[in-house]
Amino acid sequence: MLCKPIFSVDIHPDGTKFATGGQGEDSGKVMIWNMAPVLREEDEKNENIPKMLCQMDNHLACVNCVRWSNNGLYLASGGDDKLVMVWRRAAFIGPSTVFGSSSKLANVEQWRCVTILRNHTGDVMDVAWSPHDVWLASCSVDNTIVIWNARKFPEMVTTLRGHTGLVKGLTWDPVGKYIASQADDHSLKVWRTVDWQMEANITKPFSECGGTTHVLRLSWSPDGQYLVSAHAMNNSGPTAQIVERDGWKTNMDFVGHRKAVTVVKFNPKIFKKKQKNGSSPKPSCPYCCCAVGSKDRSLSVWLTSLKRPLVVIHDLFDKSIMDISWTLTGLGMLVCSMDGTVAYLDFSLDELGDPLNEEEKNSIHQNIYGKSLAITSTEAQLSTTIIENPEVLKYQQERQNSAQANSGPGGAAPESSAPKLNSVMNGESLEDIRKNLLKKQVETRTADGRRRITPLCIAQLDTGDFSPALFNSVPILPSGSSMSSQLTPQLSSDSSPGQASSMGLKPTHDPMLTSPPPNNTANVKSSLLLTSASKIEPMKALDSRFTERSKATPGVTAAISSTAGLTPRPKDGVTAQKEAKTKEETSSDSEDKMAAINKNLTFGKRKPELLLDGGEVVEKRKKGRPRKDKMAASMAQPFNSNSIQVSMEPSVFLEVENEVSMVAGSKLSQLRCSRDGRDWNTLLPSSVVVAAGSSDILAVACEDRMLSVFSSCGRRLLPAIQLGTPASALHCSAHYVMVLTAGATLSVHWTVQREVVLLQTLIADKSDSLVQCADFRSCLPSHDTPASSGPLAVMQGRNLNAGRLASRLSSTPHHMQQSMTLAFLENQLASALTLQSAQEYRYWLLIYARFLVNEGSEYRLRELCKELLGPVHKSAATSWEPTTLGLRKRELLREVLPVIGENLRFQRLFTEYQDQLELLRNK
Amino acid sequence: MAKVQVLNVAVLDNPSPFGNPFQFEITFECMEDLPEDLEWKIIYVGSAESEEYDQVLDSVLVGPVPAGRHMFVFQADAPNTGLIPESDAVGVTVVLITCTYRGQEFIRIGYYVNNEYTDPELRENPPLKPDYSQLQRNILASNPRVTRFHINWEGLADKMEDSENVDPSPNISGMFPPSCIPGKMPHLGVMPDNSMDCISTSAM
Repeated sequence: MLCKPIFSVDIHPDGTKFATGGQGEDSGKVMIWNMAPVLREEDEKNENIPKMLCQMDNHLACVNCVRWSNNGLYLASGGDDKLVMVWRRAAFIGPSTVFGSSSKLANVEQWRCVTILRNHTGDVMDVAWSPHDVWLASCSVDNTIVIWNARKFPEMVTTLRGHTGLVKGLTWDPVGKYIASQADDHSLKVWRTVDWQMEANITKPFSECGGTTHVLRLSWSPDGQYLVSAHAMNNSGPTAQIVERDGWKTNMDFVGHRKAVTVVKFNPKIFKKKQKNGSSPKPSCPYCCCAVGSKDRSLSVWLTSLKRPLVVIHDLFDKSIMDISWTLTGLGMLVCSMDGTVAYLDFSLDELGDPLNEEEKNSIHQNIYGKSLAITSTEAQLSTTIIENPEVLKYQQERQNSAQANSGPGGAAPESSAPKLNSVMNGESLEDIRKNLLKKQVETRTADGRRRITPLCIAQLDTGDFSPALFNSVPILPSGSSMSSQLTPQLSSDSSPGQASSMGLKPTHDPMLTSPPPNNTANVKSSLLLTSASKIEPMKALDSRFTERSKATPGVTAAISSTAGLTPRPKDGVTAQKEAKTKEETSSDSEDKMAAINKNLTFGKRKPELLLDGGEVVEKRKKGRPRKDKMAASMAQPFNSNSIQVSMEPSVFLEVENEVSMVAGSKLSQLRCSRDGRDWNTLLPSSVVVAAGSSDILAVACEDRMLSVFSSCGRRLLPAIQLGTPASALHCSAHYVMVLTAGATLSVHWTVQREVVLLQTLIADKSDSLVQCADFRSCLPSHDTPASSGPLAVMQGRNLNAGRLASRLSSTPHHMQQSMTLAFLENQLASALTLQSAQEYRYWLLIYARFLVNEGSEYRLRELCKELLGPVHKSAATSWEPTTLGLRKRELLREVLPVIGENLRFQRLFTEYQDQLELLRNK
Repeated sequence: MAKVQVLNVAVLDNPSPFGNPFQFEITFECMEDLPEDLEWKIIYVGSAESEEYDQVLDSVLVGPVPAGRHMFVFQADAPNTGLIPESDAVGVTVVLITCTYRGQEFIRIGYYVNNEYTDPELRENPPLKPDYSQLQRNILASNPRVTRFHINWEGLADKMEDSENVDPSPNISGMFPPSCIPGKMPHLGVMPDNSMDCISTSAM
């Protein structure tokens, strides 16, 4: 590895590890390394801290690029084998030493390939995740750029064609409006993400360039204002061209490198000048920081506020620089080179300035583009957050203590900290199964009389990090948290070379390796073998048999191997047909069904005024519609996806996508809502047929006749209501929901405050409300069998075989799992409420709160707190009940608050509600 | 890259009388759903001197293979003694397990096999004509020799070019038949103490 070139390096968003990609022995190689030994010398010397976490040899040829997704869950790699592979960490897969391999170096973390993206016909040179991980882009020497749907791999969104040379670099606009690419055809092209057409084609600065660099990694500044190219020429000198977003002007460049620029990488932070003590606080213009690496083996770091580079480091490597990656804190940087080494550099705040926090960065985006990127609240940023409340500090310390107890030193959370799943399938342990495998396995005969065995599936890939991680109250702690304190003034303004700590990375074979227990039986057997000494010689002859691929062995074999490839495959034909069919469906479906929906929606609009005039109408059933109107009450059909604006002020958009995923036989539909730029989404177990909303609530009716009502922040307000007949039209106004069903029943529900009253009249019987729970049962985390016993547990308990089903979900993307869990928890909560099971309500409420805290869902959390707190000042107008199911809401809030305090992100929320509780208590 | 990785092979019923069927419990992992079956073979090497005496004890198709970790027991009858040269009946030979996909062999697992008389009397003075009923077969299970070969998993190379604009690999995160129940893989007893020093470079 030491002398094999490293083509790419990328630091994980949480700062605890980084990935490298390059050439392996006879394959490409992706490796994941622990960051801690790089940052701290004592960790480097500590043999208990692993340096290498995982290596993957799966790429057949050199790996040109590795990139972590913004959420840190996935790693994408692209290589000369024309493939893009997407990796994900698997927590519960067994040891991954290679069977039959002499290498005893076990992987500390298990990363496995979850998707292989095949489309390129040439080497893949660069890959890039879009902001929010919506898309993954890859570019190749086949002159194309492919945009993949990162939420539905391996689906392709589009192929960008237009380059006439090898495409060697990609970068997304941080605002998500563009993607830029640089190629050997002397051009840099900017593409719009809205229609995937070319926005700009910049050629002038590149006309003199020859295709001499392996990569052309360009970069977009974090404020979105500048795009900086790799290799460009100005007066026959190599430069990095600055392209302004405004008009794509090319007036400036970074000059000084003696050979072509291979890589440019902006620091993810925006900085402002450090306020010196004593000097008057002058509002200074924020600026960006950019690192430039070149074939001349030197690295330069620039601030957009300075005309000269901040620092230039010559002779850092023996060969060309290939890739650069900044830490999310903006103060550390890894640089890799063709010479097979990676160097780490760190900077101090004095050198770079004060990084803006995410809010300030967002407000810059807001000012410039009128929209905020709002990748707020990444964990790394939290490390610098100041704890403002002593109570929060207490909870934080408690959390950290337990975190330390859980995770080993060095920041690499070892596998052992994750709770182990029992290897129980259908109540049988794997050992039991193995005993009877021969008898149990299904064996059939094919048409031509051959034996065919159906293998027993003992694990799905990526039986993932799903449930236990979600409820683990210990989020990942960025190891960079202590960085600011240990920064040394390494680079003076006139820094001399060699100060940066360069460190050659080589896999260490000794640490953390437990040699397998002495294998006595093996010894015995081999000695047994050796007794027949006379026969030692044939063994040499036999040895060749192990490694030689079978030539067509005479007799039986020949016959068999020739038929092997020719066995009839009726299956193929069927799948092809099926695919064609689904395609047809999707195309024809959407239009006419959307038309139907629109009709229904307009029809519904006329009703509410009429009914609301009735004043205190709580519920009204009306059979009065004449028969001839039957047409109007026709059953609404499900559609595939639709988007409606449900309210103007504030503007609320509701988007429905049916059949986003199939899980355990049920089709899931996704409901997305965007409201003042805040988004939430939830999953429903059936296709949505109609949806409506008001400024206060949202309602959707599904194909399975379930009516679901959500608050404006996406909390489920009622358990699903079973309608007698399929819904035909739906309308919301303020807190009212009106449903017209195919059975010509019109009902109006007044939700939110008086739920209980309503539910009892509306729900046909109690078990109805649990139908949906049953569907969501699959979302229940495995270790989460209710600790409380109550009517809800009793009703669900029998069928609650959750762990099994939960792991089935693990094949779905993370964001989907998250939504499903959320939807499930809200259902449990609502059901417990309906069943009036106070104890269970409290139990699920706390779990729900913990989930919201861990997943960072502030709006829902705030709404929950608000509901629990009620009005601080008494007024007759409010109908807030101080208790629910006999539990005092404020007491519940008191229980929820410590959970909130565990996440620093919510410390303001914590303080706010704690103060109000105090205030109320003192009254 | 290889879509199928063999994770473990456990040799069952070992040592055993020569006439007993061979039983291997094979655990493998598949990266994505395979449209075609895998073909496994057990080959008994009758004589070290020549491949002529190789016997394919049995071959089975294994499928369908969705993405995931799977196991099955491959059982095959003992070799036809009539095809083994009498001089090679007693002593060390080899049994091979191979797996092919679309007619291409991508893995070969070999074990040394020692055939010996259990009776010390017979061991001292072996009969001229081997007495198979008295022979014991002992497979050196702790020392598998694994060789991997790169194959084209997609079928023909030109086919790849044609499928440029087609969604490849259908249904990666797809559904699994109900019989596939996830669980955790325990450590399968003692991991074999493998040596691969002389294995070809393609082994990794």
